[in-house]
Amino acid sequence: MTRLRLVATAPEGASTAELGPMAPVRLPPGRHGLPADLVRANQRQRMLEAAAAALAEQGYGRVTAAGVTELAGVSSRTFYQHFEDLWACLLAAYETEAARLCEAIEGACAAVGVDDGDGARVGIAAALDFLASEPTVARLLSAEPPPQVTVLAAARRELAERLSGMLRRVLAEGGTTPLPGLERRLIGAALALVAARSAGGDPRPLRELEPELSELLLVSL
Amino acid sequence: MEAVLVAAGEVGYREASVRAILEHSGGHRAQFYRHFESREDCFAQAYATWAQRLCVDLLEAAASAPGWEAGVRAALVDLFRFVTRRPAIARALFVEVQIAGEPALARHEAMVERAAAALDAARLEIEPDLAPPEATGVFVVGGIESCVCEALSAGDPNRIWEALPELMHLAVGSYFDKEAAEAAFEEASIMLERDRATLLGEAG
Repeated sequence: MTRLRLVATAPEGASTAELGPMAPVRLPPGRHGLPADLVRANQRQRMLEAAAAALAEQGYGRVTAAGVTELAGVSSRTFYQHFEDLWACLLAAYETEAARLCEAIEGACAAVGVDDGDGARVGIAAALDFLASEPTVARLLSAEPPPQVTVLAAARRELAERLSGMLRRVLAEGGTTPLPGLERRLIGAALALVAARSAGGDPRPLRELEPELSELLLVSL
Repeated sequence: MEAVLVAAGEVGYREASVRAILEHSGGHRAQFYRHFESREDCFAQAYATWAQRLCVDLLEAAASAPGWEAGVRAALVDLFRFVTRRPAIARALFVEVQIAGEPALARHEAMVERAAAALDAARLEIEPDLAPPEATGVFVVGGIESCVCEALSAGDPNRIWEALPELMHLAVGSYFDKEAAEAAFEEASIMLERDRATLLGEAG
């Protein structure tokens, strides 16, 4: 359904405020008097979402800039005004979604407080909830990018490091200090499991993975 | 068929055109298309042959060791030897397969399931009420694979040896408990320290 949402024009009578500042809905064509910044932000957001959708559909082996522009409903010229190439667009999408995932986890952990002692489980559930509700994002964040595209490989490494740091912090709050480097191996395994479970295109089982993943991530630490 | 893996491992699957493959193997385009429907098909068939061979080697290494834990360690040592001796092929099997299209990916998933099922032999030693989650095998295989991918992507296959104690902790800890995991970590660290020169020398 992502494809339909991406190219749909705004419903009649709906203001951009109602749609949200980053709603990836195609703006009406032609002269509409909307501020240039808003148009640019809208285009960019649509292309980022389209990049994740194109990647989920075609994988790193086949995804192309043309596929992204078609899905986003923008011209190739517009695409290259925003991004140097396909990888720059995928990198921007990756970084945006990685930041959103980390915010979702941190938000959920902050809400339960440090005394709860269950911070890790809450964080894991929040991560899986986030990924399950966004199938294309789950694929984008968990799939191994081609190592030749060093910026993307580095972004994935950075996400894994950040998640490892979060796991280490939340465990430390509960009084556990894992052996150095161990949480990095566990996060690698967790990302691979998420990739395997979301590869079929149906990310709903990800939500059901919480008890298993919590046990696997925490039992040996 | 080895040529497609070497080409993909050296320049990446996206860049490994039929022409690039033929530069490694010799022969003409017409011959290529008599054997394979496409580059994707060629990669998938080559993957199946090599992954099957590697899988059998690892299972044999595990079977010849005394007990489950020693078997996992022996299989990891065997895997790391392969990664360091044949980095281009390993890169194709572990890294490039992720982007080489559905046919190869489906075969890769089957290999992961097979490795996970082999690891699940640990369940025979575990009381039913302490049974680990169903996803344990895939989780452990994923952890090992992601570690191999990292070392290969960084262009430093030898670095994989340093992960041996951590991966033993991951495997043993996921099936058994913290105490067993720490003992496995310790034992692998001692082995690595003792045999480092031999293991790294072999790789060279």
